[in-house]
Amino acid sequence: MQAALQQLRISLTLHYRNKMALIYSYLFPLIFLLAFYVLYRYERVVLARHMGELLTVSVLGGACFGLPTTMVSERERGVWRRYRLAPIATATLVLSVIAARYLILLTAGLLQLAVALAMGMPWPQHPVDLWIVFTFVSFAFIGLGLVMAMMADNVPAVQALGQCIFLPMLIIGGIAVPIATLPDWAQHLSQFFPGRYAVQALQACIVGPGLGKTGFELLALVIIGTGGTIAGAKMFRWDAQQRFARRSGKAWISVAVLAWVIVGVLAESRGYTPASARSSEDSVAAPAATPAPTPEPGAPAPASASVQECSPIPPVLTLSEAEKKAAAGKAAPAPAPSNARSTIPNDLPQVEAVPPEKPAAEKAPANTVTLPHPTPPSWQAVTVADIERDLVFDRLPSDSGIVTPIARDEEEPDPDTSEHLRFIQENLPSWQPGKVADPVQRVRNMLYVAAVPDVQQQPIERFAAQAVFYQLQQDIPKDQLIKALYWIALHPTEGDDKAVGDLWALRFTNDPVDLEQTRERAAIYGVKLLGRLLGKLPRGAS
Amino acid sequence: MVSDRKSLAVVFCKAAMQKVVVKELEKRYDNVLAAQRVSFAIEDGEIFGLLGPNGSGKTTTLECVIGLRQPDAGYIEVCGLDARRHPKAVKEKIGAVLQTIALQDKITPREALALFASFYKRTAAASELLDRFSLTEKADASFDSLSAGQRQRLAVALAFVNNPELIFLDEPTSGLDPQSRRDLHGEIVRMKRDGHTVLLTTHNIDEAEQLCDRIAIIDSGRIIASGPPRDLIAASTSAQSVLLRTAQPLDPKSLAVIPGIEDLVCENSTITFRTKTAGPTLSAVMKVVNDLGVEVLELHARKARLEDVFLALTAEDSQQ
Repeated sequence: MQAALQQLRISLTLHYRNKMALIYSYLFPLIFLLAFYVLYRYERVVLARHMGELLTVSVLGGACFGLPTTMVSERERGVWRRYRLAPIATATLVLSVIAARYLILLTAGLLQLAVALAMGMPWPQHPVDLWIVFTFVSFAFIGLGLVMAMMADNVPAVQALGQCIFLPMLIIGGIAVPIATLPDWAQHLSQFFPGRYAVQALQACIVGPGLGKTGFELLALVIIGTGGTIAGAKMFRWDAQQRFARRSGKAWISVAVLAWVIVGVLAESRGYTPASARSSEDSVAAPAATPAPTPEPGAPAPASASVQECSPIPPVLTLSEAEKKAAAGKAAPAPAPSNARSTIPNDLPQVEAVPPEKPAAEKAPANTVTLPHPTPPSWQAVTVADIERDLVFDRLPSDSGIVTPIARDEEEPDPDTSEHLRFIQENLPSWQPGKVADPVQRVRNMLYVAAVPDVQQQPIERFAAQAVFYQLQQDIPKDQLIKALYWIALHPTEGDDKAVGDLWALRFTNDPVDLEQTRERAAIYGVKLLGRLLGKLPRGAS
Repeated sequence: MVSDRKSLAVVFCKAAMQKVVVKELEKRYDNVLAAQRVSFAIEDGEIFGLLGPNGSGKTTTLECVIGLRQPDAGYIEVCGLDARRHPKAVKEKIGAVLQTIALQDKITPREALALFASFYKRTAAASELLDRFSLTEKADASFDSLSAGQRQRLAVALAFVNNPELIFLDEPTSGLDPQSRRDLHGEIVRMKRDGHTVLLTTHNIDEAEQLCDRIAIIDSGRIIASGPPRDLIAASTSAQSVLLRTAQPLDPKSLAVIPGIEDLVCENSTITFRTKTAGPTLSAVMKVVNDLGVEVLELHARKARLEDVFLALTAEDSQQ
């Protein structure tokens, strides 16, 4: 025990003396944090939707690079060989190395969290659960790091192996790229990767229901961590030249691989498929298959209503009474209101979540953000005061940027785009989704004409937006349009998105599109048009 | 019965006096037999040297004894314990300095001593070790800032952290400057004086001759000779070296005909040769010199040294 503690102390001391190790352990996660902040700066709730991803990246980096690099470099230079001369058990050494790495990961995660909080992220909903889940995630990835350390003969080999794990995990493992945007095969493949479960379990503790709903994710992490730890321990090598302790050593890699396969197969067999996945991405991608659960009659409504039950959506975005009624009244419920990605500024008030008749004891917990003021009960009741109070226009993405661009009046499209634009301008007035009875849905459908090419980054995106703005102003009285746009901005996930499927009539391609993102972009375009109608855009904006 | 008891006691006492017993040790790496039926014993309190050229198997043998490598066959007893069955107990009783001095760059001597001390039940005080090995001033300096000599002293200090009965030194002076080498030689002599038993591997013949009570010459994984250096030299059939300097140059042909002369070299008036029959050969040489009327300025005949024995033995072995 004394040896393990001393080894732990020395490992930590040496880590904190090593500048490069500090950069890898603490600076890189902060750089990722900053990158995510910049990437998702238009989100209503700062970073909360991505903290699971960020923490997973930190753990993955520490486990895939930090741990094996330390272990392999010490082994390579013969430090472990020297340890082997002492009467110290392998398990003591391995456990102290794991414990040291866990503490490093934990402090890196805490630092990342602290900086995120300083940037304006709300306090995690379940901090203790978050710590527990973080421990499970660390265990899973440290197991992976152990296997890598035993497989790699030298530090360059660690880097190569690390990249082989790190990049696929980021891209198709559900860590850095939304799963819904991946092709179907990759979505299935991601179920074999621990990254997906790590992100979802962590996210559930930050903005979701907490530990209680992450049973499968924790099981997956335990299976993968156990497989890795057993394989790593069995392949343990004191000496760089000792290829594997026993001839059968290499075979233990299969235990680690088997763990991943078991998790993937379990996920597939349990229906943990993209269609029924509990992630917000999936719920939007397949709205009809993901009905939002409703609270049991008489039971106290959860603070953030059904959203928290099914997806890692920030609890600060809660359903209004109108939304609840609308959702309950539909045979096929609307997609889970994953409006966390709305680009409406941070100070936008949230929709009231707690029914007024609810007893005080049943009200939302303190960490649930509720609205400080009432909101209009329907779109017809929206007033200019509501708009001025709830929306700000000076933080919208630039019209000349990548997100929700709008062409300037004098801007000319290229010949191909020009032809398509002319077709849109000619056919938009008669496009059927633009003629539906509900004015809000009508506006929403029209905004999709701008949002879809924006999401798909088609060359016509900036001109389509211009055409849509023009047509909306032609078709809908200004007063109605203003109210509808406000309503869409605050309720981007309401209504249906069937119109997206009718865009072929305007000669748009039938390529798949992330519906959640489309709704977000439609909401941003809505705010941009609203700003134009009210003359609220900042100086310099078109 | 009495006789039996007596013989048993003798055997027991002898065993107790032996700190290391190695019998029929074998170790193979793929197709290379690095240790072939290696057997030796080290008495309590002696400095035993494994002497051999690079790649001869001495480090492999040492590493099998201290538990760093698993032998394919053979029996190893260390401090009365079967080393293969009780490796942990053996490690409590031994200290070792490996060829490569391996520690983390940023660890300090004080931290390294504290860390290694935590691995053992019985430990020496870190401050005493720092003082003994002249590391007090560098106690809090990082390992990567230490000189080669200081690193080597730290490695030896770490070997003493558990007050070992037996010290293993694997080529401890290679790469050291003459002063550091001399200091370490002094330390090894002190180990013996303090009652420690030492197993030393080296390819430095002078070092082995100077420090070791007994040596085993190992080549191609086999022990080809063993015993005290003086006995090895005495038993050797190695030739003596002769140097003859004269006032006038000699015709080498006049000496080449003398029986027993080998490796004759003439440079101006200096002649060197080797001979295994020093008495008759030197008489014949002096007779030739006198007959030619040449004045002898200098005549040296040097007995075979350990180096000669070593070279002769290893050459014979490689011919076989």
